[in-house]
Amino acid sequence: MQHKNKANKVLVELKNINKMFLTDEVETHALNGVNLTIDKGQYLSITGPSGCGKSTLLSLLGLLDTASNGEYKLAGHDVSHLNRDERAKIRNKEIGFIFQSFNLISDLTVAENVELPLTYRSDLTKQQRAKNVQEALDKVDMGHRAKHFPSQLSGGQQQRVAIARAIAGSPSVILADEPTGNLDSKNAQIVMSILDQLHAEGATICMVTHDPRSAARSQRIIEVFDGKIVSDQFNSEVSAIAV
Amino acid sequence: MSIGIDIKYAARLLVKKPAFTATTVFIIAIGLGLTLFAYSLLSSLIFKPLTLGTNQEFVAIEGQYDYSHAYRESVDPFHLNQLVQEVDAIDDITYYGSGTALLSAIDAKTGTKKFNATFAKWNFFDVAGKQPIMGRNFTEADNFEGAEKVIMLSYEVWQSYFKGDNNIVDSMVNVDSEPMRVIGVMPENFAFPSHAQTWLLMPADQINPTKPSRNSAFGIARLNNSSSIEKLNQELSHFNQRMKADLPEEFIWRLRNGDNYLQATAYKKANSDVREYYSIFISLMVVVFLILLLACINVGNLLLTRVNERYKEIAIRVALGVPRQRLISQMLWESIFFCAIGAFIAFVLASWGIELTNAAFTRMFAVQQDQPFWWKLAIDGDALLVLFGAIVFMILITGLIPAWRALSGDFNAVLRDGTRGAMGKKASQTNKVLVISEILLSCIVLVIATILLTTSYFADKADYGVDTDKRITARLELPLEYYDVRWDTDFEAADHKKRNDFYYQLKSKLEDLPNIEAVAYMSQLPGTGEGTSHFEIEGMEAEVYNENPSSNNEVIGRDSWRAVGMHIIQGRDFDDRDAVPDANSMIVNESIALDLFPDGQAVGHRVRRISSRGEGEWQNIVGVVSDSYHGSAMDTSSAQYNSYHLMDSRSRQSINIAIHYKGGELQAKQTLFDTINATDANVAAYHIQSYQQLIQQPMMLVTTVSKIFLFCGVMAVLLAASGIYAVSANSITQKTQEIGVRRALGATDANIMKLFLSQAGIHLIIGLGIGIAISLWVINILQTTMIINSISYFIGLIAMPMLIIAMVLLATFIPTKKVVEMEPSEALHHD
Repeated sequence: MQHKNKANKVLVELKNINKMFLTDEVETHALNGVNLTIDKGQYLSITGPSGCGKSTLLSLLGLLDTASNGEYKLAGHDVSHLNRDERAKIRNKEIGFIFQSFNLISDLTVAENVELPLTYRSDLTKQQRAKNVQEALDKVDMGHRAKHFPSQLSGGQQQRVAIARAIAGSPSVILADEPTGNLDSKNAQIVMSILDQLHAEGATICMVTHDPRSAARSQRIIEVFDGKIVSDQFNSEVSAIAV
Repeated sequence: MSIGIDIKYAARLLVKKPAFTATTVFIIAIGLGLTLFAYSLLSSLIFKPLTLGTNQEFVAIEGQYDYSHAYRESVDPFHLNQLVQEVDAIDDITYYGSGTALLSAIDAKTGTKKFNATFAKWNFFDVAGKQPIMGRNFTEADNFEGAEKVIMLSYEVWQSYFKGDNNIVDSMVNVDSEPMRVIGVMPENFAFPSHAQTWLLMPADQINPTKPSRNSAFGIARLNNSSSIEKLNQELSHFNQRMKADLPEEFIWRLRNGDNYLQATAYKKANSDVREYYSIFISLMVVVFLILLLACINVGNLLLTRVNERYKEIAIRVALGVPRQRLISQMLWESIFFCAIGAFIAFVLASWGIELTNAAFTRMFAVQQDQPFWWKLAIDGDALLVLFGAIVFMILITGLIPAWRALSGDFNAVLRDGTRGAMGKKASQTNKVLVISEILLSCIVLVIATILLTTSYFADKADYGVDTDKRITARLELPLEYYDVRWDTDFEAADHKKRNDFYYQLKSKLEDLPNIEAVAYMSQLPGTGEGTSHFEIEGMEAEVYNENPSSNNEVIGRDSWRAVGMHIIQGRDFDDRDAVPDANSMIVNESIALDLFPDGQAVGHRVRRISSRGEGEWQNIVGVVSDSYHGSAMDTSSAQYNSYHLMDSRSRQSINIAIHYKGGELQAKQTLFDTINATDANVAAYHIQSYQQLIQQPMMLVTTVSKIFLFCGVMAVLLAASGIYAVSANSITQKTQEIGVRRALGATDANIMKLFLSQAGIHLIIGLGIGIAISLWVINILQTTMIINSISYFIGLIAMPMLIIAMVLLATFIPTKKVVEMEPSEALHHD
C-alpha cells in the first residue's frame, strides 16, 4: 500500500523498476516491478531481510547503478537514461550518501573528506567550499576535528563526518545505507539524532536499515521482500515536514 | 605434522595458479641468476684475492696507474729490494717485466714462434709458491756472471710447441736466436703473473742494483697474514717519504705522480683492463644489485597482491584461531618454494652466461694470447654461498612483507563487511613507496645500461679515418741477436740503418707482388694505441705547459698513408730530406692544422714536446695528413690530434705493419710470411689479423660487458614494465572502493582519471628526479674512463625516462579505466 502526501511535491518517482543480475549464467531478479514515490522533505526507511533488494533499491535511487528497465524521475526529470557523467553530476548536486562503513578516504583529512564532493563542482569558489565545510562540520559537532585524519577518529565520529560530507553540498535527498550498522548504541543514537535534526530542518532522507528502532524514527516505512515492496506505512508519530 | 600441512598447502597454491607461479619464478630466476653471474664475474676478475692456493694474498706493488696513456707505471727494482727489509706488512717480494720470446728448437725442426715471456727475479716461483712439475726452479746462481742462460716453460708451451717431449728438461732451445737451457716445466694452467708462456731471468744488474737506476719492473708481494693492503699502503707512504729524501736529482721524474711513487693494489685490480674499465665493472655491479632489488620488489608486490586476494581467507583462519607464526610459516613456505625453483633456474642461467662469457674472453684474447689466467669464470663455493645468501634475502623479503601485510589488517572489519575494506593510509603509503622505488630503480638501470650500450655501439661503428677493407696487420719483431740496439754509441746509426733496411726491403718486395697494393709501417695503427702528450707551437706558447694542446705521437715509415687509406692534404710526405740527422721533421693531422694554426696552414711552423720534465727539440711541420683516430673511440685516453715522426731516424726493434692486398686474406697472410722468410727468416711476424679485427680488439672487453648490460637492460625493461604495471594495478585495485566513494560523491570518469594520472605524475617526478640524479653521478664516474657521445646521452637521459613515463602512465591508465568502468555500486562493494 502506498500513501501519498499530496501536499508535498514529489521528489523521487520510480515506475515499474526491475533490476536483474547475471551471475554464472544464472539470472537473479534483485528488484521486480518496484513503484515508489518520495516527496520532498520526507523521511523514509526501507527495511527487509538480507538479500531482499533494499540496498539495490538504494543504489538505483542514488544513481550508483542503473535499472534493467523501468522509469526513474528525480525532481521531475527522467534520469533513467542519463550517461555516466550526467549521472555523476546529479549525484554530486542532488544526492548525499551515508554508508554503513563510513567510506571516508584515509589519505584525506576530515575537512578534505567533507570538501571532496564540492571539489567536483565548478560553481563554488574555494571560500564558499570552506564555508560549506565548516557549516556542515559544525552541524554534526565535528568542527574541532577538521584537521584530523579518519584513522584518528572513533566510528561514531567518522559517521558524523560522513554525514557532514553528505550534507555539505545541500543535496535534494540524503541516502543512508545502514548508517548505524557499524556503531554502538550510544553512537547510533547520536547519528540518528543528527538525521532527525536534518529532517526537522527540511531534508529528504531515505534510509536502509535493519534496526526497527531506527526505522521507527522515520516518517514512512516501506518493507521490501524478494525484490518487491510488500508494505508501505506512514508513521503517524513522526510529523511531516512542510517544504 | 603441522609443517607438513603448511608445505602441502603452499605447494597446492602454487599449482593452483600456474601463471602466477611461472611469473614469480621467472622474476626470481632473473634476479638470482644475474646476481650469481655478476658475483662470479666480478669475484673472478677483481674482488677475490689472488692466493694461488696459498693462504696469503698477493698484491701488486707499482707506480700510479697512468689513465691518460692507459698503462701501469713500473718502478725501480732497487726500491723494491729495499721493501723486504723496511716493510713489515709483506713476507716476500719479487718482480718482473713482460715481453716476448721468439722460440725455436736448436735443430730448427719446429720453426720460430713468438710466445709471451716474463722476465723475472730468480725467486719468482718461490714467492708464487709453485714449483715446476718437471726439472728445477730458478736459483740465485742462474743469475751469476757467466752462468748459462736458462728458460722455464709453461705446461701449454711444452705440450703444444714441444709436443710433450719428455726429454725437454735440460735440452737447449733458441730464444730470440740465443741458445738457452730449458730447466723445467710449470704446472698446467700456471701463467703467473698474468699470461706468461715462458719465464726468463732478468739481467743480474737489474736484480741486484746497488743504487737507483732507470731500470723498471712490476713488484709482486705476498701480504703478511696479519696485515692488510691499507696497512701496507701506510707503510709504503712512509717508505716513499724516506726514499724521496735520498733520491738523486736525475731520478726525480719517478715522483711525477706526486709522492705516491710505490703503491700496493689488490693483485687482480692492478690488471690494466680492470683498471681502465673499473668504473664499468662497478656500474655492472650496481646495475645487477638494482635488478635484484627490482626483482625483490616485483615478487614482493606479486605476493602482496596475492595476500590481498586471500585476505578474507586469512581473516577466517585468524578467526578460527590459527596462530600468527603458523600464518607466517605458510607464507614463508610459499616463498621458499618460489625461491628454490627460481634458484635452480638461476643456476642454469648463470652457468650458461658464464660459458658464453668464457667463450667471449677466449675470442677476445685469442690474437694477443694475453688472457690473464684468472679470467676464467666458474661458479665456485663462494658463489654458491652468495646464491644461498641471496635466496635467504629473497625469501625474507618476499615472505615477510606479505606476512606483515596479512597480519596487520583489521580482520574483524573484513569478516564483518565481507570486503577487504578501503585501503588504509599505511598501505597506501607502502604502495606509493613501491611505485616510486620501481620508477627510481628502473631509471638508474635503464639509463646506465643504455648509455653503455649505445656508447660501445657507436664506438664500434666509429670512423677511424682509415680504410680497413682488404687490409691485414701484423707486428714484426727483429731479434736482438741479429739486429743490435746500441743506443748512445758510435754504432747507433748503423743499427738504425740495418733495421730500416730490413723494413724498407720487405716493403719493396711486398709491393712488387701482384696481390699487394701498398705497405705501411706505424708504431701504432689508427684505431689502436692511445695516450697524449703536450706540445707547444712556436709563437703560441702557453704560460703553463699543461695548457698547451696535446696529441698522440706515432712513428711512421715513408710512403705509408695510401696503405691505410690516408692522404697528404698540405705540404708533402716524408722523404730522404727527413731521414738525415737533425732534420726534425714531422707531419700533423688535419684537426691540428685547422684547430690550432691560422687559416689551417700548419706547414712551415715549428712545434716541440713539452712536459713537467722539460722541452724537446723544435720540429718542422712538413705536411698535413688526413684525420685518423688513435685508440678506441670510447676511451678518454684516445686522441684525434696526431703527430707523426719518420721511422728512419728512430727505427724500432718491433713495429706494426699494415698491408693493402688484392684477392684473399689468407693468400695475403701467406705472402707476408713467405716474403719475410725470403728477406730474413729470423724475423718474426705475429698478431696477424685483419684491420677490422685489430680495431675491434680494444673494444672487445667493453663489447662483452655491454652485451651483459644489454641483457640487464632488456631484463630491467621487462621487470620495470611488469613491476610498475603490477604495483600500479595493485595500488589502483586496492583503491576500487575509494573510487566508488568518489564517484558516489559525484566525480566523473575524467575526474578520477585525472586524479590517478596526476598522482602517477608526482611519483614520476620523485622517482625520475632521484633516479636521474643518481644516474648522472654514475655517468660522471664513467666519464673518467670513457667518452660518452651526445646520442648516448639523449637515449639514456631523455629516451629512457620518456619510456618510463609512458610505462607508468599506461600502467595507471589501464587499471584505472578498468575500475572506472565499474558501476559505483559495484566499486563500493568490490571484494
